[in-house]
Amino acid sequence: MIPAFYEFRSATKIVSGDNAIEHIAFELENLGVTRPLVITDKRILELGLTRIVLDALADSELGGAVVFDDVPVDSSVEVANSVARLFKDRACDGIVAVGGGSVLDTAKGAAIVLATGGADLMELRGSEVLSNMPMPPLVAVPTTAGTGSEVTGAAVIKDTARDVKMAFVSFDLQPHVAVLDPRMTLGLPPRITASTAMDAVVHSVEAASCRQRNPLSDAYAYSAVTLVRENLDTVLSDGRDKRARLAMANAALMAGIAFSNSMVGVVHAIGHACGGVAHVAHGDAMAILLPYCMEFNLDVCADVYAEILLPLAGADVYAATAPADRPAAAVAAVRAMLATCADRGGLPLRLGEVGVSVSQIADIARVALGDGSISFNPKDVSLQDAEAILKAAL
Amino acid sequence: MGRPAARSAAPRASAARSPRKRVKRARKALAGTVFIFLGRGLAAAAKHDSRVRGEVASWPEGTVVAIGVAPDGPRMTVRKAGGRLEYLGGASDLKPTLHVEFKSVDVALPVLIGMKGMLQAFAEHRATLKGDIALGMSLVRSLHIVEGYLFPDVIGIKVLPRAPHREVSRFRVYASTLTSRTAALEGEAR
Repeated sequence: MIPAFYEFRSATKIVSGDNAIEHIAFELENLGVTRPLVITDKRILELGLTRIVLDALADSELGGAVVFDDVPVDSSVEVANSVARLFKDRACDGIVAVGGGSVLDTAKGAAIVLATGGADLMELRGSEVLSNMPMPPLVAVPTTAGTGSEVTGAAVIKDTARDVKMAFVSFDLQPHVAVLDPRMTLGLPPRITASTAMDAVVHSVEAASCRQRNPLSDAYAYSAVTLVRENLDTVLSDGRDKRARLAMANAALMAGIAFSNSMVGVVHAIGHACGGVAHVAHGDAMAILLPYCMEFNLDVCADVYAEILLPLAGADVYAATAPADRPAAAVAAVRAMLATCADRGGLPLRLGEVGVSVSQIADIARVALGDGSISFNPKDVSLQDAEAILKAAL
Repeated sequence: MGRPAARSAAPRASAARSPRKRVKRARKALAGTVFIFLGRGLAAAAKHDSRVRGEVASWPEGTVVAIGVAPDGPRMTVRKAGGRLEYLGGASDLKPTLHVEFKSVDVALPVLIGMKGMLQAFAEHRATLKGDIALGMSLVRSLHIVEGYLFPDVIGIKVLPRAPHREVSRFRVYASTLTSRTAALEGEAR
């Protein structure tokens, strides 16, 4: 399928595999960085993951790094400003972000502040507003395998004073280097492993079906789903399996490249709203909503879902399924994957299990319609449609 | 050998450039005309259609929305004042709360004349959006309803996400669009 027009950019250098962390110093030197600022959070620090990075930097010619370890669960403009101040005060010239989505979003937020010389971030909200700005070198070291933030051009940062979540979308926000080292995810508990794995599947399914789907994003999306299918059982049963962990990290990264270019749709729009209104964790909302949203999109996405059955279920199932049955079989394959995650990882399968109540449905649906992702869904979503999806998933 | 060729090429290049510029000017003029209808139509629909009125009700008072063509092409501006939406023409000096800007007149025109949907244009990165994305979504929903009034159904069915549905007669919105005045000091779309 060749669209009439598309844009694609994946500017991030990927460093993946054993001892990848030990390559960070070399990558920083390549980027002209002499004094890196390491951004992380207390939990990652306590788990000892930041220490692996700091030791690697200490052993290099760089000789060490400045550390900011106070990133909260939700990245905020205040924290981004604090990081930017520390960066300037300590004469840093590059950023190494070690953590999950919040840490990486905070790093991107600080990079925006530094690139714009302290402009009000509210003025920079939007899509493709940030361009031709000299972002400081950013090396992303993800400690989960799901968000794909290490390669995406998006960041969400909260302005707590004005109680506004600000979305920034720009190709220029893609980090310079993404480092995938299996040591970073070996200790993830099954619950988070399951949730983040399904996050990567959602990114892939939405990237493959949204309006800006293109051959390059398809390639990344399908490969990501294949890696999840091949390795999910292993990481859920043996979290210390390095090869499987690395495969899942690569799956999340590839799904990130896919959706950063072809965007996401109704699952993310409603999922974000579930987070905003009912404080549902992002990965849980994504996983729960995916099959219901696929059913909603089924009439316009039959061809795409038929294709994605191959990576979702494997060649044998694909070949044994009649072409007309493949779209529905893809939804069934997602449900089978979710059932595995529920059985082995304790993943919730209904919104009611994660605290969403009937009374919140109208609010969640209304907020979802204001989410930018809704515009990229291949099928128009009305308020009633969003409410129906939520009721079905409750 | 090279110099005479260069001299003879110059007039040819100049001659070729001129029609292209004329076409560009014509396209900008057409885009400017459509912006006038779109801006006035949006203000009219906000008056007559409860769905657009509901969308505008959710915008903060004083919201200024501009849709235009980069770098210096035509644009339309509307402002919410006193709870109502007013069309300000094209050359408003007001700083937009939300600014949608097409990257060139060539990518704007297919959207403006109903050959391509607005959502598809956004998906193809044909326009930048500066401001609150949720407000942008509300604007797009409103414009879809407006286009349902302004475009013939044969076009609406093709480019709108759903078949056009009109709460009031097309004539009423057309009449309001044609007879409404530009609200502020500024002129019509450049």
